[in-house]
Amino acid sequence: MKTIILNTTNRLIMGILLVFSVFLLLRGHNLPGGGFSGGLVAASAFALHALACGVPSARRMLFFDPRTLIGVGLAVALVSGAPALLDHLPYLTGLWDKTPLPVVGKVGTPLVFDTGVYLVVLGVVLLLVFSLAAEEDSWS
Amino acid sequence: MMGNGMILSIAAVFLAGLASPLAFRLLRGSLGKYLAMVPLGAFLYYASLVPSVGGGGAVRASLPWAESLGISLSFHVDGLSLLFLLIISLVGTFVVIYAAEYLRGSNGLGRFFLCLMGFMGSMLGVVSADNLILLFIFWELTGITSFLLIGYDHEDAASRRAALQALLVTGAGGLAMLAGFILLGVAAGTSEISALNALPAGTLAASPAFSWIFALILLGAFTKSAQFPFHFWLPNAMAAPAPVSAFLHSATMVKAGVFLLARLHPCLSAHELWVGIVAPVGAATLVTGVFLGLRETDLKKILAYTTLAVLGTLTMLLGLGTALAIKAFLVYLLAHALYKAALFLSAGSVDHETGTREIAELSGLRRAMPWTAAGAMVAALSMAGIPLLLGFVSKEYFYKALLAADGPPLVWETIGVITSMLVFALAAIAGIRPFLGPAKATPRPVHEAPWTMWVGPLVLGALAIKFGVFPGWVGEHLIAPAARAVVPDAPFDERLKLWHGWNSALALSILTVAGGALAYRLAPAWRLSSQGLYRALAAAGPEAAYDRILDAVLGFAKWQTKTLQNGKLRNYILTVGGFAAALLISQIVRVPFALDLSRMSPPSLPGTAVCGLIAAAAIFACFAKSRFTAILTLGVVGLGVAILFFLFSAPDLAMTQILVETLTVVLFVLAFHKLPLLREFSSAAIKARDAALAAVFGCVMAALVMIAFHFEKTAGPISDYMSANSLPLANGRNVVNVILVDFRALDTLGEITVLAVAALGVFAMLRLKAPKP
Repeated sequence: MKTIILNTTNRLIMGILLVFSVFLLLRGHNLPGGGFSGGLVAASAFALHALACGVPSARRMLFFDPRTLIGVGLAVALVSGAPALLDHLPYLTGLWDKTPLPVVGKVGTPLVFDTGVYLVVLGVVLLLVFSLAAEEDSWS
Repeated sequence: MMGNGMILSIAAVFLAGLASPLAFRLLRGSLGKYLAMVPLGAFLYYASLVPSVGGGGAVRASLPWAESLGISLSFHVDGLSLLFLLIISLVGTFVVIYAAEYLRGSNGLGRFFLCLMGFMGSMLGVVSADNLILLFIFWELTGITSFLLIGYDHEDAASRRAALQALLVTGAGGLAMLAGFILLGVAAGTSEISALNALPAGTLAASPAFSWIFALILLGAFTKSAQFPFHFWLPNAMAAPAPVSAFLHSATMVKAGVFLLARLHPCLSAHELWVGIVAPVGAATLVTGVFLGLRETDLKKILAYTTLAVLGTLTMLLGLGTALAIKAFLVYLLAHALYKAALFLSAGSVDHETGTREIAELSGLRRAMPWTAAGAMVAALSMAGIPLLLGFVSKEYFYKALLAADGPPLVWETIGVITSMLVFALAAIAGIRPFLGPAKATPRPVHEAPWTMWVGPLVLGALAIKFGVFPGWVGEHLIAPAARAVVPDAPFDERLKLWHGWNSALALSILTVAGGALAYRLAPAWRLSSQGLYRALAAAGPEAAYDRILDAVLGFAKWQTKTLQNGKLRNYILTVGGFAAALLISQIVRVPFALDLSRMSPPSLPGTAVCGLIAAAAIFACFAKSRFTAILTLGVVGLGVAILFFLFSAPDLAMTQILVETLTVVLFVLAFHKLPLLREFSSAAIKARDAALAAVFGCVMAALVMIAFHFEKTAGPISDYMSANSLPLANGRNVVNVILVDFRALDTLGEITVLAVAALGVFAMLRLKAPKP
């Protein structure tokens, strides 16, 4: 399945897809998007790369093991609820910094939580894709 | 008096346990000595409480926890708790020192101390907790740590079996006890034990649930304290390393049951069956213990059966319930904790140094192991009830309580004297004989154990002598305050005396020694001649029943797993869909509602067209002849749904749907060439059944949506609330996202956890292929 067309397309759109996925994550609170769809877009980008250039190359590009991403994502989501406890608010109550940062916008614990979701989704999909694809890798 | 030190001491023990796996890597063999400082410190702290608690005060500490459920981290230390706290921390100190040497060289030592300290902390919690639920949590923790400790040698099948048996028996009893606690809390209106015990007599007895409360709590206490017919797990638990047997299965954990009975004595003993049930069960355990003990030739097994006998004795005394019996109970408990821990530790040392625990192979060890012999023999003499030792004092009070008890004449006394004779014989067999006589060759050349292994028995033995000769101080400062906590209203003689004059209790004691010596002579012959009898009893005994129940449960589990989880996806869908449909139908027919179609949006051309497309594609997928066609048509269904989302202005859902469809295609491409060709599995009849179920399920879902319309009219749609509050409360205009990450963030947290677990499951299954040839 190593075709030059797929390879070239992949090289062109991989970066765009990744930037788009972060864009979706950041704007999700006010406009369509969010951690779940952002994570899916990012996962598609890496899956495309795996199809075009093989799983080992995709793994190198991802740098982290998908399982690590899952673990870190869960931990981030779990911890994001904790600051509320310090204010004697129920766990996972959203806390916001009201002054918007450039590019990112307003920052709050729900965004951190959504980042956790993003990482989990990315990790889960890629764990499946890499495991399935690794079995048939003839070029690895 | 406030006692945050109480909470600190328990927390310190737990923390020390948590730190030990790491500390073991740094300190290796010397970990035990440092770790022992923690229970020693706790012991000193508890000892410092003796003056104030002994004077009738109580130490209280409380932290808020789940207040809305009436559960707080509250501790209440009175005389009874303090006696237990002192025993646990003192024996615990020696056990920790001992275990580090006993298990030297074992790589699991960090794990071992984690469990052991965890157990110690939970046990301290059990005896000092004031809240029923808190007590239950500590109680279960002792069960779990006990499970891990019995199964320490987890490569041995017998250890695993014994561990599971202990966990199941005590765990089942613990659950019954929890139900009893909850009923008790509801009936009394409080879960604080100190408040329960302060209720006027008869308040609880008037409650209709009182018999249930009584029975359920007794079940918990009896299983934990290995009372007949639940006694069988305790001797099997001897598969644990010796320090564990000494600590958990003689001195502390098995006493949790009798502790609970004593703790709740003021409020539960009002039940008319208290004397009628508790005392006979104790007597049955006592008789079972000594009777089965006579069969054994293994040092630890013999000691385990005598522990059983003592637990029976303690329960029997509690059952009698008079002030005198309670006093005897407490002295007996203290005496037993001291001598039995010493004996178990010594037995472990003997095993460690000689390589055997068979009494036939052990003789004349006093020359090679003088210190161990001294500790063990003093403890055995105390167990036998020889004067000038605490065991003698406790036996005197035991007899006095029996002589004064109500009931048919001579029954209690006969049971007491005969079993005491046999305990005497067993003490001589297990604690005296191995050290006397000519030395024998043993599997390993004998030498004295290191000091860390004999210091415990020696100190505990010395205490047995000190308290035996001068019982006055113990009586005044430990026993009397504890007795006041168990029987608050009854007046009793607070003094504890060594000499009671020439009375019938002394006569029984003398009779016991004489009969015990005779029983010791006859024991080997009895052992030889009675093997057939014991085998016949074992085949009909409660342990055989336990095995049958366990087999039956496992058989049922296998059957239902085979039936429900047969590995065929189509059957899963059938089960899940059928069950969900049945459940929904059973609710739908119960709810009165009127269909109001006017609120439905008028059919639009694009909407109708997309719906038609979806339906057509779904039907086509059912009749597809190749997998590729089926996947493509299902893709049409998915994308059609995405378009519907767009049409009804839910771009978020539409986007996610499209992404999921895309990734499905990717996964499918990866898995495609490994899948077998589509085949016909189902007959026409089965297909018809599946089609019918699918139709029913679809109709049920449609009906559900329409009913939702009906209820929106009465309560207003929840989406209005979400839309109105999403910006002011959660700083977000995208309602879907706000729900996901803020309003329902906890649900999302659960969902991503499920997602992660599912992915790991798939990963494991893909990796679990048969190895390539």
